[in-house]
Order: sequence, then structure tokens, then C-alpha cells
Amino acid sequence: MAVLLQADCARRLVAELQGALDACAERQRQVEQSLRVSRRLLQAWEPAGTTALEPPPGSETKKDPSPACTPNPQDIKELELLTQALEKAIRVRKGISKTGERGRTPSLKPGSTALSPGTTASASPQSSSRTGHCSSRTRPTKGILQTKVPAKHHPEHRLPLAGNRSPVGIGAQATRLEPNHREQMTLSAAPHAAETFTLKEKGTLLQLPMAFRKVASRNSCLWTRLNSTQTSDATDATSAAKTQFLQKMQRSSSISSSRFSAVEVEMEAQCLQKACALLRLRMQEELSAAPEDWMQEYRCLLTLEGLQAMAGQCLHKVQELCTALTEQLPGPCLMGRPLKASLPCGDRVCTSWGPQLLLYSSTQELQTLATLRLRVAMLEQQVHLEKVLMAELLPMVSTQEPQGQPWLALCRAAYSLLCEGGERFLTILQEDPAD
Amino acid sequence: MGRRRRRVDEEASARAGAGARTLLDAIATLSRSLPTGPCPEIFRRAKFDRPEAAPALWELLFRLLAPLLADRAAASLGPGAQARWVKAVLCSHGYPRPALAQLPEDGSQGSRELLLAFSWLLARGPLLEWLLAQTCVKLGDQVPTFECEVLASPGLATPQMDAEGPVDLRCLQWLMGKLRFQWQQLICSQEEQCALLSKIHMYTWGCHSDRNLGHLSVTETEMLRDPEGSQQLLQALEQENAQLEAALEWRRYELVFWQWMDTVLGACPSEDPAVPTFQPSISEHGRGKLELVAQELQALKEELQALQELLRKEVLSRRQAWETQIGGLGHGPEWSAARQALQQAVDRELLALRQAWKQGKGPSLPQGPHRLVKIEAGSAEAQGLPVAEVIRALRSQEASLEAVLCRLQGQCRQELARLAGTVPGLIWILPPGR
Repeated sequence: MAVLLQADCARRLVAELQGALDACAERQRQVEQSLRVSRRLLQAWEPAGTTALEPPPGSETKKDPSPACTPNPQDIKELELLTQALEKAIRVRKGISKTGERGRTPSLKPGSTALSPGTTASASPQSSSRTGHCSSRTRPTKGILQTKVPAKHHPEHRLPLAGNRSPVGIGAQATRLEPNHREQMTLSAAPHAAETFTLKEKGTLLQLPMAFRKVASRNSCLWTRLNSTQTSDATDATSAAKTQFLQKMQRSSSISSSRFSAVEVEMEAQCLQKACALLRLRMQEELSAAPEDWMQEYRCLLTLEGLQAMAGQCLHKVQELCTALTEQLPGPCLMGRPLKASLPCGDRVCTSWGPQLLLYSSTQELQTLATLRLRVAMLEQQVHLEKVLMAELLPMVSTQEPQGQPWLALCRAAYSLLCEGGERFLTILQEDPAD
Repeated sequence: MGRRRRRVDEEASARAGAGARTLLDAIATLSRSLPTGPCPEIFRRAKFDRPEAAPALWELLFRLLAPLLADRAAASLGPGAQARWVKAVLCSHGYPRPALAQLPEDGSQGSRELLLAFSWLLARGPLLEWLLAQTCVKLGDQVPTFECEVLASPGLATPQMDAEGPVDLRCLQWLMGKLRFQWQQLICSQEEQCALLSKIHMYTWGCHSDRNLGHLSVTETEMLRDPEGSQQLLQALEQENAQLEAALEWRRYELVFWQWMDTVLGACPSEDPAVPTFQPSISEHGRGKLELVAQELQALKEELQALQELLRKEVLSRRQAWETQIGGLGHGPEWSAARQALQQAVDRELLALRQAWKQGKGPSLPQGPHRLVKIEAGSAEAQGLPVAEVIRALRSQEASLEAVLCRLQGQCRQELARLAGTVPGLIWILPPGR
């Protein structure tokens, strides 16, 4: 049975629900977008992407700007020969000393760059065996720390290259062998179509391009500085000037400064809701406790007295807020859920601005976090919708003549929406008056 | 104290000596640190209330108040709607000058008023830092957020809606069902995304040049896969660095700006208090959220009154019982010491209770940008906020929201039962599972 809502009421409710749906759809769109990106990353990388996996651009020779893109059979043949030679060299080298090598790494670097980009070794037995032991998680970390050393010592060596190369050059240093092999050979999957790059197998070989690393580290430095100088640099004079400006602005206005703003009222109201729930809970605890001695009894009495006083204070605050609401300026009004924390205010100063790290240790933990976060958002939305529906539907039920099918249908629909989140319905049996 | 003042004075006069040059520098720095980067000349023109400066300032304010929304929604909202929205948000944050609300929304005038509004925002809190944090390049993987007010188009109560005329209640039920379904879908997609994230983090273990981060993020890995895109990312990051540098520099110049703003404020004709504050230029559409807040406050007031009454009775009877039973016994020094100790303990307890509602419990998710970092279970080296802590905070938030929802639903159930009770011969059979 159709239960018609009046136009204005319908408009408000449909607008609220539509807003909620839009927000959900937008979020879904975003998740799907990132799912697409992530899935693509986890598949075999297409050749277009793998062309980026060039040797480190230390090559001053610049023989061939885009070698990996145009492999010809002759090159590949030569490459294989060279690869074999290099493999042998590595085996021999491995036998010598590893400790001496580490110390020489920086000075050896230019040597590696003497290899022309075309002379890269394809994924060799070494590299695959290496991927094997890299799956133990501590090793690659060490490895990468070592590779960082030369990069730091010779930044000027590689930077210009990253700058004046084609966009491909950005991803150029992508793949690199671990330090003991690095100076001789670099890995490029491109010449061998069979050797497709997958993140799972060779992900640990990836390395961020130098140009990017430089900009990113500058970025994190700047964020650190922004955080650290925030308090010390803001001189007394500046903050005094700001305060003075705000005060002067307030004085020039005809609106009293003591009133709460709409946002403040909302935030305070939320806070009071919480307060009320906590007070009630505490009171119930106290009332249900059975004091064992007179000390406990006295303590209970004191607590109840304290709670009474606090309830009084809350009530006073509610009164203040109600007054503040009536003093709100007429004007365009905002709809939707509270604008929480939408602007920085003096008393809610965040201590840290830059990206913070959130540490997780398992997929499951991450999933729990994400789901909970959504769940909290969903509950917030539900609470808001509940209030909106209450404000519209309850008066409707109470003002309509309580009889007949339409009213019963309204009751049933209202019950489902208001009390069951629209998930379940109640059954109403009407006894026939004749019986 | 005196010395400090002298120093400040010296500084001020030194700066005044440097003159207009410093002011220009200050404004230029400010402009460079802002997202839309309005031309510094705009500020100077705004001081003289030149109309041509107004559109740029409306745009700036819109960008400041809706930083994440701007790109997508700014286009869909015309300048008029943007201006309306700016007015509404400033007003709800307690902006003190009614003159703003009277400005025409076509952007044809009012640049000085807009400059004042901008400065008001700037003076109230760390606006630039907040803005930069909101709009910064997200290199890391984030916990998926869900901020309705950010995602949805700015919620101005607007009259134009497709639902004209009466609507069947079943349409609402259908929309509710759709919403529930969408949430389920979202949760599923999100779970999959988390699993993929975790894989990518594991496979790129140890690849990051920053030791604290360890592995690559999706954005970084994607950058390696697709070098074309990486160029854009690099540019965005460089731009952000320039903004950050400007924001740092701004702190040195800030004082001059505020001294100048003082003269701007001085240039304003003072309001005539006799004139009724203002005529709302926009008719009000429907009930905004303030009305909802008012209803909530009313309900809260009744609840608190009932609570207080209950407590009053309880305290009264217990106090009397206490006085008659034991009160006569102890007036000695021991008792008074014990009583004092008890009072202090109770005070402490209640103070803790008060603090529990003043501040949320435990760490919530960082408000600003954050980066997910996978660590080995049990490793204590990494610096950052453990997800487990955030989960704990979210759980308590979840529980309290569930309680609120439950309470509201209970209220509705009572109210409906009361209304139905007035009709004889009705039997309500509640749905199962409750």
C-alpha cells in the first residue's frame, strides 16, 4: 500500500539518502580505481612498463638513449655472450673477498656505468637464486642500505641524468642487483620477452629513481621543518598581532563575541551526548553496587552527589547552547552530517602535519582496520539518518488519524525504517471488531 | 620583559624601515604557499575594495574551505553556488562580520570584505599547515577514509531536487536498502584492496630508499611501472616542496602582513549599529542541520533533567539514611581524615569521568595524511603509530555509536508503541531476531 510523503518532507529525506548514496558510490569508485592499479601491479608487467627497467643511468657514454625498446637479434646474441662472461666473472669475484668489495663500492660505481645500456645482463641464474633468498625479509633491507651508500656519496653523478632524460629515465634505475653484483651488472627484463617482470618474483629488485628520491627526501625534510619550527618561530609579536587583529575584527562587528558558532554548538552537543551517556552509566553502577561497609557506603553517596552536580552543569551547558542556537544568524544553512574538524581552530591544534606512519604487521590486521573504519563511518551515517528520519516520520505518524489501512501501512514502514534500519518488518494483526 | 619588548620594537621599526618591499615579499610568499596562488596584486587591490579582485578571492576562500573537494566539485558548482557555500561555512564557524553575508554572490564586489574573511581564517589557526597537509601528494598508501562531507558535494540545502511532489515511502525503503547494499559492497572491495596492498608491500620489501618506510607504496611501484605517470608525480611533489618552502618563509614575514591587515581593517567603514544587522540575501530552504541539533539538544535536556531528578531523590534518601545510621558516630579526627581522603578519591574519579567525554578515548586515526608501513610482527624498531592501537580506539568508537543508534531506535520503538497503543484491537508482532 502506497504511503505518500508530502513534497517538502520527501524532498528532504530523499536528498539526505541520495547524499549518503552518492558518498558511498564515490568511495566505491575510488576503491575500484585503486583495485585496478594494484591488480595491474601484481600481474606481469607489460613490456611498455618493463622498458623502464634500464640499467642505472650512470652511463656517461649515452650510446643509445632507448636501448631496451629496440632490441635486435644481433644485440641479443651478443648480450647473451656477455651475460655468460659476466656470470663467470661474478663467480670468480665471489670467490675473492666480499668485505673488501663493500668498501670499494663507491669507487667502483663509475666502472659499472661504463657498461653501455645495451650490455645489460638478462635475468641470470644469479638473479633468480637471489630472489629466492631475498624472500627472507631482513636481507634485502640490508642490501638496500648498502646500495644507498654510493648514491649518497655520488649524488651529483646521477642527478643530471635523471633531469635531462626522457620520462623513461625516471624509472631507469628501477632494477638493480644486490650490492655484490651490482657494480658489474644490471638487470633488464626487456630483451627477453620470456623473462616477464612480476612483482612477486622480482619486486625486491626495484629501486626508486634518483630524481624522485631526491625530491621525496627534500619533501620529508620540509615537513619536518614545518613541524619543528611551528612553535619556536612563531614569535610573540606575530601571535600578538594575530590576536589583536581578531579582537579588533570582533569589536568592529555588531555580533557579540561570546556566542557559540554553529560548529561549536554541534561539537559541544556531541560532547554532551557522550557526557550524558557516561553519567547514566556511572549512576547505574553506583546504584547497583552493594556497599560492604560504611566507608563504601559513604563513598557511594559522595559519588552520587558528585554526579548530581555534574548533571546540573551539563544541563546548564545545554541551556547555553539552546540560547546560542536561537541567536544564530539566518542565512544559508548547511545540510548533512557535522562538519567535524573541518578547519583548524586555535584550541584543536594538530601537533604534527606531515605524513605519519601507521604500522601494521599482517593483512588481517589491515583488513580489520579498514573494515572498522568503514563500520564507524557507516554507523555515523546511520545515526545521522536516524535523526533525520525521526524528525520527519514521527510527527507524521502522530498527526495522522490513527485508523485505517494507510495509517497502519505508515506505522509499519516507519517502524521498519526507524527501529530496524529498514532491514525487518513488523506484522500488525488487526482484530476484527465484530469478533 | 622590558628587554623583550624593546627587541620587538626594534624589530618592528627595522621592518618598517625596510618598508613596502618587505610587505610585498610577505604577500608574495603567502601567495606562493597557497593552493590557487592568487596574484599578490589581488591583495593590494582588495585593500582598496576594488571589484576586480573579488572573483579570485571567492575562489581562494572556496579552495581553502573545501580543499579536497575543489578539483572535482568546483567545476560542477558555479561561482554563485561556491560563494553561497563559502558564506554558509564561514557563518557556521562563527565569522563575526555580517557584511560578508550581504555581499552579492556574482563576485562583482566586496574584495576587501573577502580579504578580511581570508585573514580571519589565517589568524585563527595554522591554516597554511593544515591546508598543505590536506592537499599534499599522497605517496604512501593510506587507510581508506570515508569522509562524507569531503566526498559528497557540498551540502547546501538547495531547493532544486528531482523529487518534486509527494513520494511514496517505499521509495525511501528502497533507497535505504540500496544504501545497505552499497556499504556491503564497499566493505568487500576494501578487504580485497587491503590484501593486495599487503602483497605489494611484501613483494617490494626493502626497496625503499627511506629506511623507516622499508617497502614501496602502490603509488611508488606504479611510478616504476609507468614512468610517464611518474613525471607528473614528480612535478606535483616539486610543486608541494615549493609551497612548503614558501610556508616556512612566510613565518618570517608574517608580522608585516598582520600590521598591514590592521590598516586594511582600519580602512573599513564601521558598521552602523542602528541598521538591522542584515537581510538574508538567500531565502532559507528547508531545515538545515541546526534544526536537528536543536531537537537533539531538547531531547538531551529532558534526559539530563530526568537523570538529575533521579539522582536528587537518591542522594536525598541516602543522605538521610546515612545521617541517622552512622552520622552520629564519627566526629573524631580520624573520621574527618578518612572523609577527606574519600572525598579526594571521589573527586579524582569524577574528574577522570569528565575528561573521558571531553577528549575522545585513545588515539584515533591521524587526521592528516598518513602512510601504511608493514612491519614484522613484534619488531620494536619502527617509529610510528601501531595499527593495533587505532583498532582499539575504533572499537570503542564503534561501541559508543552502536549504543547511540540503539538508544534512538529504542526511543522510536517506544514512541510508536505509544501511538499504536491508542488504537484498540491491534496486535504488533515484532520481527524475529530482536
